[in-house]
Amino acid sequence: MTDRNAKHATFTIERVYPATPARVFKAWADKEAKTAWAYCHAEWPVSDHVFDFREGGREHLVTGPRGGTRHVFDAVFLDIVPDQRIVYAYDMHLDRRRISVSLATIELFAVAGGTRLVLTEQGVFLDGYDDIEGREEGTKIGLDNLGRAFADQRAA
Amino acid sequence: MTERSTKHATFTIERTFSAPPSRVFAAYADAKSKARWFGGPEDWEKSNLKLDFKVGGRESVSGGPPEGPIHYYNAIYQDIVPDERIVLTYELHLDKTRISVSLGTTEFKPLGSGTRLLYTEQAVFLDGYDDAGLREQGTRGLFDNLARSLEMQ
Repeated sequence: MTDRNAKHATFTIERVYPATPARVFKAWADKEAKTAWAYCHAEWPVSDHVFDFREGGREHLVTGPRGGTRHVFDAVFLDIVPDQRIVYAYDMHLDRRRISVSLATIELFAVAGGTRLVLTEQGVFLDGYDDIEGREEGTKIGLDNLGRAFADQRAA
Repeated sequence: MTERSTKHATFTIERTFSAPPSRVFAAYADAKSKARWFGGPEDWEKSNLKLDFKVGGRESVSGGPPEGPIHYYNAIYQDIVPDERIVLTYELHLDKTRISVSLGTTEFKPLGSGTRLLYTEQAVFLDGYDDAGLREQGTRGLFDNLARSLEMQ
């Protein structure tokens, strides 16, 4: 029998990007654009990706090392304010095990020279999966990838 | 144009009930049982509570004082472990305005022949319409109703 427990945690990450809020928003709102940066292991093949960006719409992504553990991301978009805010809930599975459920808030603020992004994740980590630092690190990798995407576009 | 803002907050409520976890859990899992305790104050006009109690299933209920506004509660079930745990996300609207989105974890633990219930809400309150203090107060009222409903059975 699984030993049930729940650990709650919140973390916040901020980044400033040299792009307008509209461009940063588009990097979240468009399937192709998001795929280019959002995943902390770019080398993992994606076997299934559904992306329906509207309130009540879902994102479903299956990835993971070849032949290894399947990482399943299931999200539902709950609040969308164009160019300003996205709130979504998501859960993560490793194979069949649900390891966490999170509420994520993305806020975009226009600042001199670009956009300040504030990501807040409020999560419950389930049944002994408690690598909350790992989640935060993985999220930072994605946001840094996004920063590089804007820097590359400026250089090009 | 609406001035956009967010306030993130977490609160925890702990309650004990003399009923065992299976009975307290049943008060969440069945639409009729849940409607007995979950909703606004007595004098509100309410819709029927709709509940599809499974992972990925939805729940909705609305109600409000005669003069308005109407409060709309919409939830999605994220994790269900029978007699042990329920994780859901829910949003509240006042009329057409979304005022919050929350992640709610309810844990049911045996305590003697009764139950210790632990509720944790992680919420984002939107655009200045509500706050954690009011929400916690309202939620405590719901657990008072739940306690009464369990005693009456």
